[in-house]
Amino acid sequence: MALTRGIVPFCFKVIKVVPITLQTHNIHRWVAPTLMELKRREKKLGGKKTNPRNTFAEWNLEAELYAFGKRLNEEFNYDTLLQAFTDRSYVVQEEMKQKEMAIDINLKDNKELAEQGEQFIKEYVQVYLETVLPKFPVDGVTSITKNLTNEETLSHISLHLGTKDIILAAEYPVDNYILANTFKAIVGALLQSSGKERTAHFVRDFVITQLQGQDVNEYWPIDDPWSMLTEILRKDGVTIEPRLIGDVGKNTLLACYRVGLYINKKMISSGFGETAATAKEMAAREALKKVFGTEDHMKPINFQLEGIPKPNENNIYQISAS
Amino acid sequence: MSAAKRVQQWATFARTWHIYDCKWQDPYESAHVIKKYLMGLHKPIYHPMNDCGDVVVCINSRDIALRGDEWRKRAYFHHTGYPGGATWTLAWELHNKDPTMIIKKAVYRAIKGNLQRRHTMERLFIYPGEDIPEGVLENVTNQIRQLRLVPTRLDHIPEEVVEKYPKVMEYPEDYVLK
Repeated sequence: MALTRGIVPFCFKVIKVVPITLQTHNIHRWVAPTLMELKRREKKLGGKKTNPRNTFAEWNLEAELYAFGKRLNEEFNYDTLLQAFTDRSYVVQEEMKQKEMAIDINLKDNKELAEQGEQFIKEYVQVYLETVLPKFPVDGVTSITKNLTNEETLSHISLHLGTKDIILAAEYPVDNYILANTFKAIVGALLQSSGKERTAHFVRDFVITQLQGQDVNEYWPIDDPWSMLTEILRKDGVTIEPRLIGDVGKNTLLACYRVGLYINKKMISSGFGETAATAKEMAAREALKKVFGTEDHMKPINFQLEGIPKPNENNIYQISAS
Repeated sequence: MSAAKRVQQWATFARTWHIYDCKWQDPYESAHVIKKYLMGLHKPIYHPMNDCGDVVVCINSRDIALRGDEWRKRAYFHHTGYPGGATWTLAWELHNKDPTMIIKKAVYRAIKGNLQRRHTMERLFIYPGEDIPEGVLENVTNQIRQLRLVPTRLDHIPEEVVEKYPKVMEYPEDYVLK
């Protein structure tokens, strides 16, 4: 009995001491308030400061520019590439500094290179798209080209090529305009260093491939597809007949109609819509896609054309409505 | 979202209206078929969290057929919540009171009990006879196949057709039919 009496409290103690292991990740209660306080102080001092990479002590612009070319597997002339990365704002800033220090070193900005590059990109992309989308109207191709060469797309490409830290500009982080401009200038620099064909392949691999997985029809908004379709088909001497081929929940808010377009009792396309008119318009859009060879199930765009394709003179609508 | 993608979405999630003729059908077996359409289980896009269920219109619910002596034996339980408030209503009694009730309860029971069930039930329309509102009938675009073939009753076939039908044998003239 005495033995039991001795053991029992001991047992209770053991049970009390051993904690139940909880599977929670224990973050201390002071962590969140501390982080919040730090954030508040940082905000008070004017937000988070990001130091440009090129202000670091071990930054070597020459090595970076060399590596930039090597990463892209391209041969750049060093001076031209440096000029391509020099923005106008940087030149102005440097001139002010030099005036104060009374020295004079001539710096060239990338304006000229960018102009050359832009012209080359626009011409090449236009010709390339006309070749890989032979049935697509010229207006549409121009519209795609505009979208591919706008500031947003080019700055996106430029940023992901890693130009952000190499760019010599007055401000940091650089804005989209400078990023896009630098990309154009890089193309211009490549044009001077490696020739047209090499540059064309560069543009093909980085700009035109942005179309991968995209629907090209979305780049070209058509206001009135029905009249466009009838216009095209009238040239071919064909009349088109829209028919309501299905409806669901006519008297409800969620009504859905399906309209098919027929040529000689053969359906060429169909479209859906919340009203019969919308469905007809969508059917016309589908038919136009068929005419232009850009249906949803079209073959992927060829991104492997070698050299610079020759501009196609006789680019007209080609009808294949069957 | 482009216009093409928008109408594609619209067409994918369009609600189809189905009609189901309950005449001579077992409500408890039919309930499982109706439930499939109500919840959208017949669609490849089905997911419990997407709203892709269809609308079902049941007609002729007055003419449902229960198995064996279910009309007399099956009881529907209800409790008012007060002491002594329990009632057991037999199937035939319930059917006399409201001819849509049995099919409604059968479908309700067939659907798994969750928060969605009452909303799913809102998409079920039951009519005791063949007369349904014009607006409802205009929406209908599909018919659900009946589980059982509705047999033609002998007394519904015109007499001339019955008489013309080839017979295996004639009753003797002195044969007395009961």
